[in-house]
Amino acid sequence: MGLPISHLLLVTGLVLALIGMWGVLVHRNILRIIIGFSLFGTGMHIVIVATGYVTNGTAPIIDQALPIGEAAARAVDPVPSALVVTAIVIGFSVTAIMLSFAIRLYEARKTLSIDAFTDSKW
Amino acid sequence: MVESFLQPLNIFLLGLGGGFLIPLLYRLSKRLPAVAFWTALAGIAIISGACLWRLLGGADAFEIETAGTAPPLAISLRLGPAEGFFAFWVNLAALFGAWHLWHRLRDSYTFLLLYLILVMGINGMIMTRDLFNLFVFLEIVSIATYGLFGLGQTRAAMAGAFKYIMATVLASSFFLLGAAMLYHVTGTLSIDEMIARRDLIAGPIGTTALVLVLACLVIELKPFPANGWGLDVYETAPAGVAALVSVGVSAGVFFALLKLMPLFAPQLTLIAVSAAVTFLFSNLVGLRQSNVQRMLGCSSIAQMALLVLALSLLMRHGEDDALPLVVGGLFFNHLFAKAGLFWLAGAVRRRRIGGWNILSAGAPFIFVFCSLLVAIAGLPPFPGFWAKWELVLRLAEHGGYAWIAVVLLGSLLEAAYLFQWFGRAVKPGRGEPAGRVPRWGLFPAAACVALLAIGGMVASRAAGAASVWLHAPLVAGAALLVIEGLPGRARCLSMLLVVFAAGTWMAQGIGGINGLFAALLLSGGLVIAAAGLYRGDARPGYHPLMAVLLLSIVALLRASTSLEFFFAWELVTLASAFMLALSPAARGVLLQFLLFSLASAFLILAGFAIARAVTGTTDLAAFLAAGPAAAPAFVLIALGCMVKIGVIGAHVWLPASYAKADDDFSAMLSAVVGKVAVFGLFMAAYLATRSNAGLELARVVGWIGILTTVIAALLALQQADMKRMLAYSSLSQTGYIVTAVALMSHLGWVTALYLVANHLMVKGILFLAAAAIIERTGLRRLDACGGLVGRMPLTFAVAIVALVSMSGLPPLAGFGGKWLLLSAMVDRGWYGPLALGVLATLVGLLYMLRFGHALFLGPLKPEHAELREAPAALLVPQFVLVAGILLLSFFPKLLMDPVSAAIDPQFASTLVWQGMSLELIYAYWNPARAMAGAVGLALLGAGVLWVIYRIGRWPSRAGGPTRFFRYYRPLLAPMLASHAERFWEAVSVAVGGAAGAARRVYTGNGQTYALQVLAYVLVLYFFVAVFPMIRGG
Repeated sequence: MGLPISHLLLVTGLVLALIGMWGVLVHRNILRIIIGFSLFGTGMHIVIVATGYVTNGTAPIIDQALPIGEAAARAVDPVPSALVVTAIVIGFSVTAIMLSFAIRLYEARKTLSIDAFTDSKW
Repeated sequence: MVESFLQPLNIFLLGLGGGFLIPLLYRLSKRLPAVAFWTALAGIAIISGACLWRLLGGADAFEIETAGTAPPLAISLRLGPAEGFFAFWVNLAALFGAWHLWHRLRDSYTFLLLYLILVMGINGMIMTRDLFNLFVFLEIVSIATYGLFGLGQTRAAMAGAFKYIMATVLASSFFLLGAAMLYHVTGTLSIDEMIARRDLIAGPIGTTALVLVLACLVIELKPFPANGWGLDVYETAPAGVAALVSVGVSAGVFFALLKLMPLFAPQLTLIAVSAAVTFLFSNLVGLRQSNVQRMLGCSSIAQMALLVLALSLLMRHGEDDALPLVVGGLFFNHLFAKAGLFWLAGAVRRRRIGGWNILSAGAPFIFVFCSLLVAIAGLPPFPGFWAKWELVLRLAEHGGYAWIAVVLLGSLLEAAYLFQWFGRAVKPGRGEPAGRVPRWGLFPAAACVALLAIGGMVASRAAGAASVWLHAPLVAGAALLVIEGLPGRARCLSMLLVVFAAGTWMAQGIGGINGLFAALLLSGGLVIAAAGLYRGDARPGYHPLMAVLLLSIVALLRASTSLEFFFAWELVTLASAFMLALSPAARGVLLQFLLFSLASAFLILAGFAIARAVTGTTDLAAFLAAGPAAAPAFVLIALGCMVKIGVIGAHVWLPASYAKADDDFSAMLSAVVGKVAVFGLFMAAYLATRSNAGLELARVVGWIGILTTVIAALLALQQADMKRMLAYSSLSQTGYIVTAVALMSHLGWVTALYLVANHLMVKGILFLAAAAIIERTGLRRLDACGGLVGRMPLTFAVAIVALVSMSGLPPLAGFGGKWLLLSAMVDRGWYGPLALGVLATLVGLLYMLRFGHALFLGPLKPEHAELREAPAALLVPQFVLVAGILLLSFFPKLLMDPVSAAIDPQFASTLVWQGMSLELIYAYWNPARAMAGAVGLALLGAGVLWVIYRIGRWPSRAGGPTRFFRYYRPLLAPMLASHAERFWEAVSVAVGGAAGAARRVYTGNGQTYALQVLAYVLVLYFFVAVFPMIRGG
C-alpha cells in the first residue's frame, strides 16, 4: 500500500466535486441542484484538506511530543483544515439561503423544475 | 477620543456590532433598529471619509494587524489612499442608496441587518490583505446580497436571485480552491507575501490556482457571455438593490482584482481581451433591451469591463501613474452615475423603456436625468470624460490603436442606447400619466449629479485643463439656470448680456485665424441669439444652453491644447443636442444627431491621440512640427470634422435636425454651429500643410466637398418644406467651403473664410425669415404660402438680399466668394470640380428662385390677407446681418486684410497668393470674365431647362414657375430615396440584428448560465495554461 492517504482523499474529493457539478448541470429539480452544490462544496473541502496532509504527520499540537522546531516537518498543516472549517460554515449558510429560495420558488409556481423559471431572458 | 473613533477597524465594529445589535434592539423597541442602522451606516461613511481625508493630507496608510501577530501569520488589513478612495465613495453611495431604499428596508429589521453587513463586507474586500479573508468577505457580501434579493417579491425576482446564487456560488467555490492551492505552493495566505513569492506560483498546481482565482474575480464582474445571471438580477431586483450590486459589490470585486493584479502579470493581455469582449458585446446587447433596469445592467457590466480593460492595459504598459485619473475617474463616474440612474428608475417605477415619459416629472428631474446620462456616456464635464481622454492618449502612446477602437466603438454603442432611452422618455403626446417622483425621491440622484460635477472639476485639474475660461461656459449656464424663474424675454436678455460679457472676456488674446473665427462666430451668434426675443414663452433650459453653446464655441477657438479643444467640442455637441431636444418635433431625430456628432468627436479624439503619441504633447502649436508621421492624425481629425459638417454620405442627420429644431435655433445651427466643424477642418488642413504631413488627400476632400455641393443642391430643389430646403442649401454652401479649404492654397483659404462669413449672414437671415413666416402663417410648406411680399415686405427685402448674395450674383458678397473659389480652382487645375461647381451654381439659382417665388410672389392665399409683418425681434437681427453682407460686399478688404495677415505670411509667399489686395486680385484675374462665364453658363442652363419644359408641356398652356418646378421634380425623384439614407438604415438594421443574435446566449435558464460559467473557467484555463504550451512546443 504505497498510496498515501492524501492521494485517496484528493481523488475522492475531485470525484465528489465532479458528481456535484454533474448534479448541478443535469438535474432539473432545484432541490437536486442544491444537493449538487453541496456535494461540489464538500468535494472541494476534501481536496483542500488533502493538500495540507503531510505523510505520516502527526496532529499539529505543539507540546512535548512535538517540539516547535520539528512542527513544520512532522505535523499536518493545520491551515487548510482551518480554511475548510470556515468554508463549511459559509457553505452551510449558502445552502440554507438556496433552500429558502427554493421554498419561495415552489410557492410561486408549484413546481421545482428550473425550466419553469426563465421569466427574464435576452 | 475622536482620533480613536476614526480608525478604519471601527468600520467592522460598526458593521458587525450594528448587525448583532439590530435584532436585540428590535426586542426593546421597533424604532431602535432604524436608529442603530443609520448610526452605523453613517459612522462607516464618516470613518472612511475621515481616513481618506487624512491619507490625502499625506498621512501614512493605515495598517491594521489582528490577533496580536504580524502577517503572514495573522490577517492584516490596509487602508491606503486607493483603498480609502474606493471605500469612502462606496460607503457614501450606500448611504444614499439606503435613503432611496428606505421605504422597503424599514419593513423588516432583517433587511437593515443585511444591508449593513453588505456594506461592511465590501469595505472588508477592499481593505483586507489576506487571500482567505478576501474569500470570507466575498462570501459575506454574497450572502448579504442574496438576502437583499428577498426584497423583490415577484417570481421573476426570485428566479433571478436563484440564478445569481448558482453562478456566484460556483465562482466562489473556485476562488476557495484556488486560494488553498496558492497557499499550497507559496506557503502563505498574505497577499503581499504571495506577490513577493510570485516565482513560486508555477507548474500545473500554481497555474491552475491562478486561473481559478482569476476566473472567480472575472466572473463576479460578469464577463460576456457568462453573465446572463447578472443581467437577470439587474432586471428583476428592486432598483435600489440592483444599484448596490452594480456599483457596490462590483467595486469590492474590482478592487480585489486590482490588488491581486501583480499575481496576474503574465495574464494582463488575456484579461484585457476578456474585458474588451465584454465591453463591446454588453453595449451591443444593450441596444435591444426594452427593460430599463436590464439596459442599465448592460451598461453596468460594460462599464466594469472598461475599468478592467483600462486597469490591465495601463499596468501592462507600466503606466501606473495614470491609474488614479483613469481608473479612479472611471470608477467614480460609474459609481454615482449608474447608482443615480438606477435610483431614478426605481423612483419612476416604469419597468419598460416604452413606458417612460418624464415630461411631466418636472424640470429638476429632467436635469438630473440628463446629467446622469451625459456622465455615463463619458461626456464632459464629468470625470468619465477626463478619464477616457487620458486612457485613449496613453493607449495611443503604446500603439494600442485596436484597443482605442474598441473603447470608442463600445462608447458609441452605449451612447446609442442611453440616448435612445432619453429620446423615448421625452417623446411628447402619448397621453399616459408619467410616474410622479416625490421631491425627496430625487435627492439621492441629485446628490450624485452634484458629486459628479465636483469630481469632474477635480479630474479636469488632474488632466491638466483647469483654466477658468475653459469652464466659463458651464459656469455661465449654471448661473442662468438659477434665474430661470424670470419671464422669458428677461432671461433672453440676461443670456445675451452674459454671453457678450463672458465671450468678450474669453475672446481676448485669441489671435490669427482663431481670432477671426471667434469675432465672427461670437458676434454672429449674439445677433442670431437676439432673435430669441421674438418668443415670450417659457422655453425652460433654452437660454442657459444657448449661453453654454456660444461660450463653448469661443472656448474652442481659444483652446491651445487638444484636450481643451476636444472638451469645448464635446460641449458644443451636447449643448446643441439638448437644445435640439427642446423642440418636440426634433426629438425623433435627436439620436441620429447625437450619434453622428459623437462619431465625429471620437474620430477627432483618435486623431488627437495619435498626434499626441507622435509629438509627445497635447499642445496644438506642436502639431506644426509633427511631420509626416502625424498624417493619420490629420486624416482622422479631418474625417471627424467632415462627418460633423455633414458631407455627402454622412449628411443624413443634418437636414432633419435643421428642419425640426426650434425655428430660431435652426438659424443658429446652420449659421454658427455648423461653422465650428468648418473651423476644425480648416485647422486640420492648416496644421497638415505646415507640418509637411504630406497629405495627398486634399484632392479627395475637394471632390467630396464639391459633390456635397451638387447633390445637396439637387436635394434642396426637391424639398417641399422650407426649412428642410434651407438645410440642404446650407449643406450645399458648406460643400463649397470644404472645397475651398481642400485647395490647400492661400487663395483657397481666404476664399473659405470669406464664404464662411457670407454664409453665416445669409443663412442667418434666411432661417430667421423662415421663422418669421412660420410664426405668422403657421405653415412650413413652400407651396402653401405665396404672395407674402405685400404682407411682409421687410422680410421679403432682407430675404432677397440674402438670396442674391448666396446665389453668387454680382454685386453682393457671394459673388466675390464664388468668384474667388472658381479662380482658385482654375489656379490648381481642378477642372472636374470646377464643372461641378458651375452645375451647382445653376441648381442653386433654381432652388433660390423657387424659395423666393413660392413664398413671396404669386397670388396671396385668402387666409393670409390679414397677416402682419414679422416681429421686430426677428427683423432687427436680419437687418444687422444685411448690414454685414453689404459691408462684406463693398469693403471686402475689411475681412480680407486680416484674413490674409492671419494666414501665415511666410506660407503665403510660397503659394499663389502674392500678398495683393483684393482689388488687385480682382484686376489681376479679371473677375468679370470668369464670373460672367459661370453665371452666363448657369443662366444658359436655366434657359435650356425652361425650353425643354415648354416643349414638354406642349400643347397645353405653360404655367408659372411653380409648374416649372413641378415638372422637373419627378426627374429628380430617384434621388429622393437617398442612397446614403438607405446605407445608414442598413447599418442600423445590421447592428440591431447583431445585438439580437448576441443576446440569444441569455436563455434565462439557470443551468445554462452555470454551464457558461464553467465553460468560461475552462476557456480561461486553456488560454493561461494550455495555449502557451501549444505555442511554445
